[in-house]
Amino acid sequence: MRAARQVGRSLPRLEARAKVTGRAEYIHNLQLPGMLYGKLVRSPIAHGTIRRIDAEAARAMAGVHAVITSAEVRQIIPSPYYGPAFHDQPILAIDKVRHIGEPVAAVLAADAAIAEAAAQLVTVEYDELPGIFDEVEAATSPVLVHEALKPAGTFADLKHLGGKRGTNVALEFRLRRGDVERAFAAAGQVFEHSFRSQPVMHTPLEPMVALAEATEASVTIHTASQSPSFVRIEIARLLGWPENRVRVRTAYLGGGFGAKLYIKLEALVTALALLARRPVKVSLTMEEQFYTITRHACTVRIKSAVDRDGRITARRCEVWWNGGAYADIGPRVTQKSGFTAAGPYDIENVAIDSVALYTNRPPAGALRGFGIPQLVWAYESHTDLIARALALDPVEFRRRNILREGRPQATGTVMRDAAIAAVLERLAQKLEWGRPFERGTGPVKRGRGIALGFKASISPTASVALVTIAADGSCAVQCGTVDMGQGSDTAMAQIAAEVLNLPAESVRIVHPDTDVTPYDMATLGSRSTFHMGNAVKRAAEDARDKLAALAAELGLPPGANVEIAELFRRRYGMQAGTIIGTASFLPSYAPPDLATGLTDNATPFWMVGATGVELEVDSETGRVRLLRLVTVADVGTPLNPRIVETQLSGAAIMQLGFTLLESMEFDRDGQLKNPSFADYKIPGLGDLPARIESETVAASQHSGPFGAKGVGESGTFGVSPAIANAIHDAVGVRLTSLPLTPEAIYRAIRAAAGDSLAEE
Amino acid sequence: MMPFDLVEPGTLREALALLDPEDSAVRAFAGGTALMLMMKSGFFRPKRLVSLNALAGDVASLSLSPTGELRIGAMVRLAELERAPEIRRAAPVIAAALRRHSNPRVRNVATVGGNLAHGDPHMDLPPVLIALGAEVEIEGPAGRRRLPVDGLVSGYYETVLRGDELIVAAIVPPQPRRRALYVKCTTRAADDWPALGLALSLEADGAAIRAATIVLGAATERPMRLAQAESLLAGRTADAALIGEAGRVAAAEAAAAIIADARGSSAYKRRLLEVELRRALARLLDLPAAGETR
Repeated sequence: MRAARQVGRSLPRLEARAKVTGRAEYIHNLQLPGMLYGKLVRSPIAHGTIRRIDAEAARAMAGVHAVITSAEVRQIIPSPYYGPAFHDQPILAIDKVRHIGEPVAAVLAADAAIAEAAAQLVTVEYDELPGIFDEVEAATSPVLVHEALKPAGTFADLKHLGGKRGTNVALEFRLRRGDVERAFAAAGQVFEHSFRSQPVMHTPLEPMVALAEATEASVTIHTASQSPSFVRIEIARLLGWPENRVRVRTAYLGGGFGAKLYIKLEALVTALALLARRPVKVSLTMEEQFYTITRHACTVRIKSAVDRDGRITARRCEVWWNGGAYADIGPRVTQKSGFTAAGPYDIENVAIDSVALYTNRPPAGALRGFGIPQLVWAYESHTDLIARALALDPVEFRRRNILREGRPQATGTVMRDAAIAAVLERLAQKLEWGRPFERGTGPVKRGRGIALGFKASISPTASVALVTIAADGSCAVQCGTVDMGQGSDTAMAQIAAEVLNLPAESVRIVHPDTDVTPYDMATLGSRSTFHMGNAVKRAAEDARDKLAALAAELGLPPGANVEIAELFRRRYGMQAGTIIGTASFLPSYAPPDLATGLTDNATPFWMVGATGVELEVDSETGRVRLLRLVTVADVGTPLNPRIVETQLSGAAIMQLGFTLLESMEFDRDGQLKNPSFADYKIPGLGDLPARIESETVAASQHSGPFGAKGVGESGTFGVSPAIANAIHDAVGVRLTSLPLTPEAIYRAIRAAAGDSLAEE
Repeated sequence: MMPFDLVEPGTLREALALLDPEDSAVRAFAGGTALMLMMKSGFFRPKRLVSLNALAGDVASLSLSPTGELRIGAMVRLAELERAPEIRRAAPVIAAALRRHSNPRVRNVATVGGNLAHGDPHMDLPPVLIALGAEVEIEGPAGRRRLPVDGLVSGYYETVLRGDELIVAAIVPPQPRRRALYVKCTTRAADDWPALGLALSLEADGAAIRAATIVLGAATERPMRLAQAESLLAGRTADAALIGEAGRVAAAEAAAAIIADARGSSAYKRRLLEVELRRALARLLDLPAAGETR
C-alpha cells in the first residue's frame, strides 16, 4: 500500500520533542575523560607586532597544564595558516596581531576557571602599528594588513593573486555588460547614491565550540560546525595527513547562520590536543564571538540611467566589502553575490566592481544572505529614490524594469525558474497596494514600502548521500548536512520517505560524522535542500532500484507487493543484510570570464524574496513601530510548508535586527565599544511587528528535488530597504546608513525641517 | 569564575557582622542579578559573598499601614512587588514601572534593596520611589538611620551606604490625591536599559496642579529632580501651552547633566525629555497631547 505523500507535509521537526525536553545533543555539553579546557589570551590592540609574550606567571599557577603560543603550534604544524579562500589566518598570532581580540596564546587546564584566571596572567608586549578600518580607505591606504596575498589554491579564479604585495585588496570582481558609459551619456536622467551597511554579528544561541582528541594515528574533532567535510580536508592539509586519519563529527547546532563555517576553532583545538596529549575543548563565550566572525560592513555606490519611459538603461555598482583582518569566505561573497549587485532588473548596460578588502577589524564572513542583504539595501533604496524622483509608483516602476523569465541576468545567464515578477505582484496584492493608505494623525505618521531581491546559489558545490535499508526494512540517511535549527533532518527524511514509500517519521537521519557520512561541501547559502536534497533523492532511488533488483533476483514479478523485510529473509535465510543506495550531486556550472564577469551558467538556481512593510514613525522622537511585515518568496515547491514559513519569518526577523538595532560600534583605534549583549541589542519579542505574514508563490524548481529549492535566506533580502522606503513614505526623509535608529531618523527629520541637532 | 566563600547568615545582625568595610572583595548578595554579571565579566572577583537570602521577617516582607504607608522589606523580590495587592492599591505606579523592568526571570530574584544599593542610574525603581517621596531605612553597627531615596544615590554607581551597612526597607508615605506615572523610554530594543526614565507625581484637582514632583532617571549620573519644571507647574492650571513649556524648561534645566551614551546623544535625549514630559503630563492631566510644536 502506498503511504500518503511525504513531501508537501507540514511534518513537525523530527527532533522537536528531544529539543523541548532538553535531550537533544549539542557539542556544547560534551565532556570527555581527561579533558582540558582551553582559554584564549586575546589581543587588546587592532594592529601591532608582538615584542614579547611572558607566560611564566600563568604557567606557574597551580592547575595550569600548559600555555601554548604560535611557537609551540609551529613545532607540529610548520605553516599553521588556514582559511577557505586564502591561507592567511594563523592558529595563534605569529609575530603580529591584525585585529582586536585576535587569539595570541591559549591556556590549558582541567578546570576552566583556572584556565581563565591564568589567561589573565599572560602578559604580551606589543609595538602598536597604525590600523586601517574603513573599507573604502583600505583600497588606497598605505597601511597594509598583510605583507603578501596567500590564496588557498582551491579556487581557480584566485590563483593569479598568489604572492601579490602592497595591497589590501583581496579580490576584485568585475562585470561588464554592454556599454555603460555610452548609456549614461545618452540618458534622459541619471541618479547616483551611496549606501552603507554596518558590521553585525550572527549571535547563535550556542557559541562556537570544538573539542579534539588525538592519538599518534588519528584525530577526532567534535565540533559545532556547518562544514564538517571542509574541516576534515583543512585539518588533513595542515597536519599533512590523509583525510582518513581525521574524523569530524557534529551534533545539533544551536544556530549557525554562517558563523560556524569553514574553520573556526577546529585547527586550534587540534593543535592543542596534539601538544597536550589530552582531549582539549574550547568553548567561546557569547562575547568572544564578536572577535571571531562578523558580517561584512559594506559601502555601495550605485548609479543608474533612466529613459523617458521609466526604463533603466544602465547601472554602475561599486561595492567595497570590509573583510576584516582575515579573508575567511569574503572573496566568495565579493564575487558570488557581487554579480547580482544591479538587482533583479532587466538592464542592457551593467558595470559592477565588487572589491574585497582587508582591514584591521575582526574577520567578516558569511551571514544568512552571503552579502545579498547589503546589496539589496543599496539597490532597492536607490530604486525607490528613482521612482520617487520620476513620480512613478514604486511597484509600477519595478514592474517596468523587472527581470522576467527567459531574459538574461547581468552575467548573461538566462533566468529560469525565478518567479521574480510573480513575487512582486503577490506582494503588491497582499499589501493592497492600489488602495488608499491611512497616513496617521498628529505626530505619528504612517508609511509603507516594498523591496525585492534575488540571489544565486553558490556554485559549483557537491553533495554525496547514502540511503541504507536495514534487513527489517527500516531506513537511515547518512548525509553531511548539518541541522542547525533550519529543519534539514526533517526535509531529508521527507525526501527519502517519498521515494521509498515510507512515513517520514520512520526515517533515521545520521548526523554528520566524516567516518560514516560522505562528503558534503557545507551547510550554507541555502544550498542543502537543492544539492543534498537531490543527492538524497537519487540515493533513495538507487536503494529502491536495488530493492527491485533483489526482488527480481528472487524471481518475483515486477510490482509484486512483498514486504522489504521478507525480501531480505528470502535472500539471506534470516534477518540479515543491508541495501546501500548512494548518489552524488554536482550541478553544471560555467565560471565567469575573468575580464567581463560574464557566464551563461552562473548558478543552478535562483532565490527570490520580497518584503512589504507598514509602519508608524513618531516624528517627535524618531521611534518606529512596525505594524506589518510581509514576506513573499519563490522557494520552488515547499517540501514542508510550515518549516518554510518559519524559515521566511525567522530570516525576516533576523534582518529586522540588522536593520533597526544591531551594530558593532568601533572607535578610531579599532576598539569595539559594545562587546556585550547589554549594548549590542538583538530583537526581542517586544520588537516584533504586530503582524508577520510569510508566503510562497506557486512555483517549481524543475531541477530541484520534487520542485524544491533553498529558503533559509530569502526572507532577509528586502527587509532593510523596505523599512527605509516606508520611513521615507511616512516622514519624507531618506536614511542611507544602517542601522535605522530612532535618533538617526529624528536627526534626519529635524535636518529636513532646518533644525539640525548638534553633532556629538 | 574563581572559588570564593558564600555565607548565608540567618539574622540581620550576623549578616552585618560578616561584612567588612575595609575589603571591597566582601559584598552583600541579594538577588545577585547585577553582581553575577560583574563576576562573570571578571570586573568583580569576590573573596566572600554574604547572601541575605536566608533573612526572614520584616526585611523580607511588605506591609501597608492603616494610614496608607507602605513598608517594603529590602529582600522583597521585584516580582512580588509587581504583584502585591498592597502596591496596586497604594502605589500602582510601582507595579506599572516594574512590568517593563528587565525581564520576569530577573524580577523573580532581584530585590528592592539590591536595586537601590547598586546605585545604577539606569534602574527604573529609584526615580519612581523618589517621585513618591520614599525613604530608605538603613542598618549598620551604629544602629538604624533613615534618609530619603533621593539622598541615597550620591553619583554614578555610588551611594552613601557604608561598607558595613545594609538597606533594610523602603518606606513609601501615603499618597492621597496624588497621581503618578513612570515613562520608560528605550531607544534600541524594546527590552533595554532606558535612554531616559521619567517619574512624575502630581497633586491636582482636574487640571489644577497644587504640587508636582518630576524625576529624571537614566539620562544623568544619578536620578535628578527637575525643580524648575516642578515650580513652573505648581499652583497653575494646566493647558497645552503650560505642559509644552514644562517640557522645554525641563530639557533646559537638565541639559548640562544629560550624558551621551550608546542609547543616544545628549542633544537627542534633551529632545526626548521635552517630548516625553509634555506627553506624560497630558496623560496624567487628561489633556490632548498636543505635539509637533517644532
